[in-house]
Amino acid sequence: MKFLLTVFLFFSFRIFSHPVIYGGGQVYQASFMPKMNALNIGYSITSRYSINASANHFENNDNYQDYTFGVNFLAKRWLQNDSQGNLYVGAHGGRYEDNQDNGAVGSLMAMGDWESREHYILAKTKSYFYDNKEELSYLFRYGFAPYVAGMNELQTWLILQTFYFSEQSREAIITPLMRFFYKNVLWEIGYSTRGQSYLTLMVHY
Amino acid sequence: MKKIIILFLLSFSLQAKDLLVEVPGMVCQMCVYGMKKHFKSAVKDPDKDIIVDLEKKTVLVKTKEQLSDANIKERVKNAGYEAAKISWIETKKSE
Repeated sequence: MKFLLTVFLFFSFRIFSHPVIYGGGQVYQASFMPKMNALNIGYSITSRYSINASANHFENNDNYQDYTFGVNFLAKRWLQNDSQGNLYVGAHGGRYEDNQDNGAVGSLMAMGDWESREHYILAKTKSYFYDNKEELSYLFRYGFAPYVAGMNELQTWLILQTFYFSEQSREAIITPLMRFFYKNVLWEIGYSTRGQSYLTLMVHY
Repeated sequence: MKKIIILFLLSFSLQAKDLLVEVPGMVCQMCVYGMKKHFKSAVKDPDKDIIVDLEKKTVLVKTKEQLSDANIKERVKNAGYEAAKISWIETKKSE
């Protein structure tokens, strides 16, 4: 398997707004980049633990596809009156195959975020394992809400994302994004400095 | 005297106690959805009877019946938060 930077970038976009949500909560997510698409299904067993399954397909990388299962854990939540901070960890594993190869793939994730109704900060590191190799990625996000939305109103976020994948590039990929959140539906659109457009749709139940 | 008693009983029937929970840290639409999910079994109409105020960080629930503090705390915990203050407020019945 020859992983490309764009594939890791795509993985970075496949980001749940929160890896763990309310107890009994379900998340259905689809993400798209040119010639890449992914489906994710997540279920929060409690407000501390979640499990998820995902499938990825990349037409432009030897017809690569993978299927993984994972667990996520909310390690700590800090609740202030007007904001909240969260620390998550997760582990995922599964199988991949492409036109030339197949094997096991896995990852470990640590993510921290802080958000108020106007600001949003996220930092995430992820370690990938495949073909007896290990690769690290780093992702940072800052988001700003141009207006404050109430219950049942459309919430809009302007987000700047920086993605850095140390082993394959010294270049940080910057992606301006727009996030919209209405009731239980979230969608994001973005366009990176590498010229890749991106769309994700997410529904919570 | 009979009229006074009827008016007295009628005034009770027109009043109800609604649950008001203060929940620090609620900032997003998902908080709203999570709260609604965990209080919907306590109300008749979840769309009308559960009001989450992200500005005041409160959840107002027009419950079918009185809930215990432990039950309320458990529902808020399952939504991912902590109930800072629980109170029952008297409101006039709209219907």
